[in-house]
Amino acid sequence: MSEPKRWPGRVALVVAKKELLDLVRDWRTLVALVLVPLIILPLLFIALPLFLEGESEELDSIQLNVVVQLVDGGDFPDPLDTRLQQANISVRFESLEPGQGNLSEPREDEERLRLAVRNGSIHAILRLEESATNSTESWNYAILHDSTSELSREARGRLHDSVAEWEDEIMEENLADVGLTVDEATNPIRWDGDFAAADVSTAAESAGLVLSMLIPLLIAVWSASAAMQPSIDLTAGERERGTMESLLCTAATRVELLFGKWLAVAIVGAGAVLLQIAIFLAAFSFLLPAGYLGIPELDAVSILSLVLSVILFATSVVAIELALAVRARSVKEAGTTLAPLLMAFIAPALFAQFVNLEGIELWWFAAPVFNVCLAMREALLGVYDPVHIAIWASTSVIYAILAVGWASKQFNREDLVESIN
Amino acid sequence: MGAPLLSVRGVSKSFGEVHALQEVSLEFSRGDIVGLVGSNGAGKTTLLRLLCGLYRPTIGDVVHHATDGSEHAVDSVRQNLGVVPESTGLYHRLTAWENIRYHSRLSGVRDSQAWNRTVRLARALDIEDALHRSTRGFSKGMRQKTALLRALAHDPDLLLLDEPTAGLDVTSARKVRGLVQMLQQEGRTVIYSTHHLAEAEQVCDRIIVIHNGTVRSDGSPSDLMLHTNTDSLEEAYVALTLDASREVSDAEVYGWFQRQWIALLSRFSTGERIDIDEVNEDE
Repeated sequence: MSEPKRWPGRVALVVAKKELLDLVRDWRTLVALVLVPLIILPLLFIALPLFLEGESEELDSIQLNVVVQLVDGGDFPDPLDTRLQQANISVRFESLEPGQGNLSEPREDEERLRLAVRNGSIHAILRLEESATNSTESWNYAILHDSTSELSREARGRLHDSVAEWEDEIMEENLADVGLTVDEATNPIRWDGDFAAADVSTAAESAGLVLSMLIPLLIAVWSASAAMQPSIDLTAGERERGTMESLLCTAATRVELLFGKWLAVAIVGAGAVLLQIAIFLAAFSFLLPAGYLGIPELDAVSILSLVLSVILFATSVVAIELALAVRARSVKEAGTTLAPLLMAFIAPALFAQFVNLEGIELWWFAAPVFNVCLAMREALLGVYDPVHIAIWASTSVIYAILAVGWASKQFNREDLVESIN
Repeated sequence: MGAPLLSVRGVSKSFGEVHALQEVSLEFSRGDIVGLVGSNGAGKTTLLRLLCGLYRPTIGDVVHHATDGSEHAVDSVRQNLGVVPESTGLYHRLTAWENIRYHSRLSGVRDSQAWNRTVRLARALDIEDALHRSTRGFSKGMRQKTALLRALAHDPDLLLLDEPTAGLDVTSARKVRGLVQMLQQEGRTVIYSTHHLAEAEQVCDRIIVIHNGTVRSDGSPSDLMLHTNTDSLEEAYVALTLDASREVSDAEVYGWFQRQWIALLSRFSTGERIDIDEVNEDE
């Protein structure tokens, strides 16, 4: 039987094409890699803030019931009364006996307030006592509330804001009496103009800084997590389903099979990571004011560094995950093995975001995971240091070779034909 | 006897402390249909995996003989090998044809050639209509037939079948046996592991009895019965796989003598001259 020409990589492509077809038909893979990012990230970054905003507006519209207790039944100050009305607070006045400890002591109101909060008749108690000082107006106050009740907490907040505004008003009047403004008295040294206007960095550079803190971490974490499910399915899954034995009996060598599976996982993982980053950036920019997040200006060296670091990192990650997963005889066993591995990628990637790039020691660029995360950070910041690039590129190549070599060794194990079934 | 195809030379295979095969030496010729018969755990699957290069011998060699007389490791001649493992190993998210096409592509065969061959064989197995159906809902018989088609799509010289009729209904098993006989007519070599002695007797020219990792017998079904002095293959198998360390009961000894007397009387009654020297001293 005549055969098509065998060229290097042909078998790996055949394997990768079949694996991609198989994965696309697997609803679990689609859910994990496509549907979840499409739903979860927009939910987290768009729907959640909108929901919280709606909840806050709903809370603002609720009229709250507050008892104002005035020591010795004194007069309730008009400015505060006005502010409570503006804050949608309904007030009932009571008189409070003086000289029974400070105003924060609940006294006999403790049980009463707890019961009242539960039935909604009272949400908080504001206690006021005019103090005798030299100033024109001085008060002591306390707000009794139930911190386990949402409406009571809301009432406390509104009362606190109203009292603070009333305090500002009194202070302004007092200062005016002695010929001063609030700024002159409380803020004698002031910034002149707009903070942001004084920043000489461009919008693109600012965007690079913001993204340099996010993208390396996201790529490291998502590469490791996105490759996990397909890695397991294509190795331990094959062993569990009994398809590995017939596959190993074909004319394809084990290295060709490994490379084909690696390619399929890398394509699926890369697609999932790109999708997640796109959705993340779209959701992130939705939250920020227009024009806040720009596009970083990257030169050719930076882009090349970024792409190379991602490729080398993904090569290692996928190879390690395939090697570990193929040792397992079932999907469950592989999942148990690989889940802790995720932390091995997340922890250094998270740490690398806080490493100070100024005067950084060179060994950071040789440490696994740190090196690619720092390389991505430098690329996004437009930092070009040949020594750094030489170290992270060479060590990443070494790690990738070691990972692929180990994966290849695992693929040559005799017990690969055995399955849990 | 055809030209040599495979040689198993002094092969032992151990997995840690477990000795799955011990000092096995066998020769397989082109055009043979060989049955590997043995109980569960006897070493049949281990031998088949050694023959297709999935396992490496702990001791000894397994070599493939090319038509020019040269010898090669079995790994390097997988192109000429079709295997149906015990678990059929089909991808259930793919159709039957996609499963077959994947393996034929891995063997470097053009889709059109694999398709033409598959359709012809699918007709023989009565599975032609199911080729474009997902294998998820396939019965055991359908899966087994699809695995057979997959193993044959690249037109191999040697076919290794591990329990190909296990769990199949009578009709399906018959079709599989029919296909094996058709392959023999095409000059292919088939090595066939089975539990069913009647099936082995029906299909195979040669039966190798494996027990506890050793070859207990190797020959035609009639050779086996003659060698064990039994009337049926089943009795021959039982006699061959008797554990030497096991104590033989009085009933078994009595039964053996009874069979020998009947055989002698039968020959005597037909007028055959019996030379007393024929009686083997061992017997």
